[in-house]
Amino acid sequence: MTLRRIGTVALHVFKETVRDRVLYAIAAFALLLVAASVLIGQITAGQDVKIIKDLGLATIELAGILITVFIGVGLVAREIERRSIFSLLAKPLPRWEFVVGKYAGLVLTVAVNIAAMTVALYLMLAWMNWTSPVNVQRSWDAPAVDPRLLISVLLIFAEMALLTAIALFFSTFSSSALWSVVFTLGFFVAGLESEDLRNFGNIVDAPFMAHIVSAIGWIVPAFSAFDVKIQVVHGIHVPAGYVMHTLLYAVLYIIVAIAAAIGVFSRREFK
Amino acid sequence: MSARLRTIAVLGVVGIGLALSALTLHARDERYTLPGTSEHLMYLRSDRAASRVMLSFKAIAADVYWIRAIQHYGRERKEGGRFDLLQPLLDLTTTLDPRFNIAYRFGAIFLSMDPPNGPGRADQAIALLKKGLDANPARWQYAHDIGFIYYWYTTDKDSAAQWFEQAARMPGAPSWIRPLAATTLVEGGNRAGARAMLFELRNSEEKYVRDAAERSLSQLTALDDLDALNLLLAQYAARHDGTYPASLIELMHASGYPQLPLDPARVPYAYDPASHTVSVSPQSPLNPMPKGFRPK
Amino acid sequence: MATVVRTDHLTKDFSTGFWRPRPLRALDGLSFDIPAGGVFGLLGPNGAGKSTTLKLLVGLLWPTSGRAEILGRPPGDAHAHQRLGFLPENPTFYDHLSAVELLVYFGGLFGLRGADARARAARVLDLVGLDEPSRRRPLRTYSKGMVQRVGLAQALVNDPEFVMLDEPMSGLDPVGRREIRELILRLRDEGRTVLFSSHILSDAELLCSRVGIIAHGRLVATGSVADLASAGDRGQGWEVVVSSLPAGIVDRLGPRVRRSTAIADGRYSLELAADVRPEPIVAELSAAGAMLVSVAPLRTTLEDVFLKALGTPADPGSRTSDGGRP
Repeated sequence: MTLRRIGTVALHVFKETVRDRVLYAIAAFALLLVAASVLIGQITAGQDVKIIKDLGLATIELAGILITVFIGVGLVAREIERRSIFSLLAKPLPRWEFVVGKYAGLVLTVAVNIAAMTVALYLMLAWMNWTSPVNVQRSWDAPAVDPRLLISVLLIFAEMALLTAIALFFSTFSSSALWSVVFTLGFFVAGLESEDLRNFGNIVDAPFMAHIVSAIGWIVPAFSAFDVKIQVVHGIHVPAGYVMHTLLYAVLYIIVAIAAAIGVFSRREFK
Repeated sequence: MSARLRTIAVLGVVGIGLALSALTLHARDERYTLPGTSEHLMYLRSDRAASRVMLSFKAIAADVYWIRAIQHYGRERKEGGRFDLLQPLLDLTTTLDPRFNIAYRFGAIFLSMDPPNGPGRADQAIALLKKGLDANPARWQYAHDIGFIYYWYTTDKDSAAQWFEQAARMPGAPSWIRPLAATTLVEGGNRAGARAMLFELRNSEEKYVRDAAERSLSQLTALDDLDALNLLLAQYAARHDGTYPASLIELMHASGYPQLPLDPARVPYAYDPASHTVSVSPQSPLNPMPKGFRPK
Repeated sequence: MATVVRTDHLTKDFSTGFWRPRPLRALDGLSFDIPAGGVFGLLGPNGAGKSTTLKLLVGLLWPTSGRAEILGRPPGDAHAHQRLGFLPENPTFYDHLSAVELLVYFGGLFGLRGADARARAARVLDLVGLDEPSRRRPLRTYSKGMVQRVGLAQALVNDPEFVMLDEPMSGLDPVGRREIRELILRLRDEGRTVLFSSHILSDAELLCSRVGIIAHGRLVATGSVADLASAGDRGQGWEVVVSSLPAGIVDRLGPRVRRSTAIADGRYSLELAADVRPEPIVAELSAAGAMLVSVAPLRTTLEDVFLKALGTPADPGSRTSDGGRP
């Protein structure tokens, strides 16, 4: 029964986001970016495949971030703001199932979007491959239609799943969707630079300050750890163990964020 | 589940989860180094591209690259590297923020330092400081630093004197630079002149500059010590029919000094009986001794 | 299940803002029972704490002290919610869903699947009177009355034993209100228990078997309507309405007339003292030239009970006639 109920909530979230017009704006933006990369590819000789791959992967990541932050954050915060949560919580739905269901629904949305954009990227790369003469193809670091790109896509998906969990956490305790967006973006930016924050102690004189900043660097999720775009684009091998460790990191941190979200949400009152 | 139990459970999961996740990441980075990661630092290869892309976040980006330059320096020094990325990182930093004072001055010092403490690239250091002068024409300190690098890390005393001259002419330059130019011109490699310059640098606001000056002063003291030791050796040879002592201790006793001489880093000087030369011990942290100066 | 709701010194404080040390006490030691079957009205002026009580029962708020039990379980319990229907005040749902989709979604949370869920949705929407074309349009296109109907429908989709309605009549026109009243009675006849909160006493009078009156967070009266009314001090007595009051007749009637009030159209209402038969009074009035309009026995109305209860800020749980807790 628990799984069924979570599934029901997740499906509802999926349907809600699909009908959300913001989603189409993001999709259009992504498509534009991808088209732009094709144009750029036409201009620079030989590096065009690299540029399409670079831009394609970056676009997939950026679109994922936008979806997560602007749709995901509103997930819980909007329900509370609009008070549609009153009738929902009167149903036999334990609070933790609500949180998990919301999470599952948004991750599903992100997954579907990433999958769609990946297919589009591969189609473009296939077209690029088909229209390029053999000697140009030989100059590429890695083949155009390279299955190794999927490694980067997988890690991008893991990164987005983690960001979604963070967004959900902020959505459960903040009273306004706007603040949830601010916190989530702040966490994300800090997470991108978490490696530098962790090494802060090496360059700062005051040890107390260094410890605090270092601690922030260790606690904030390391979003930069999911970035293997350069490696896959150049055809550099990414060991399976590296990917596994990274995915494990994501799973552990997601559990942390969801547990924290459940903790906060279970205690919330709704006036 | 009661509320209190649930709170404890949540806190437990969060605490353990954070610890485990940090450990996982740490384990991953220990086990695997992904090639291409240093390229990752230079994610934007051309600094012009960096400028265009980062627009209003240039200053923050400059700070980030500055921190990376320092980390690179520290890491290379610890692991005995070649400091390949030091110049590009400093170049990127100063392109993003042309007013980044310590990037120019600190960067130049460490680019100049000889291996293993640095890449030993006085030419790159001078180029960096010249770039700083282009962007900040009123900064007499950069001109002075260029002069100092010529003076201390190369044998080109003429260029050193020229740059001191130029610095002395710039607005705000202190009065002691003028005589410095004169001294350099006339005597080319005078320790007293170098000492005077280093004493000034020892009062700098930047810690790195102070430390470098302190070190150089210690090296000068060592050179003076070596001169004195060489004099003692000559006197010994004169007294002993052209033979030289078998060890420094013997020399010291014969000359009437009770103790073994120590350099300013408290490491005993080295003596090679075969060639009867004294030098700073290879174990001493004062190494490498500066090129432009040799014991008389 | 003899009792669907039980509260024991239920108290709720709200902290008001950052700097103020003293919290706002919204509910103060509420203790009452709601037996199964019948309609229970939770009455009180605006801000008395009716919605707060309902939210505490449903698990949207947590009590500061005291206990509550709903269908034998603590508030928020999933087993209790399986048999509960709840309509919040001024409900909002999901704009992008249609009524049918909303009910199928909620039905899914109760374990209803596929065809069963759709059939139940259709039945319940028929019950609340939402027509076919409307129920397939998205909720954002609905009027307030339609939303209220959908709200009722979602409260009934699981065929609940116990239905809680917070101000169910709000925003409805007289036709809508009559329909809701009939629906509530129908639910009662089907054997369900209904709890609804309202500040409109006439509805309560028509519907409720028992009421609880809340004012300033305290329960000031609870019991069956009849018992509360009979405990009032109108007591037995008659009211005579005449079209005009000749001068001096009131003095002549003396203490037998307890009160005379001018009402609309130049008429007068004369309340007779207890145990005074109306016939001789009528005769005297007619003899004096007054025209008789009506003769009827006096009743204590719920409004009387209500106002009297509000007028005396009693200790928590006092002033009960039957079924309340001392």
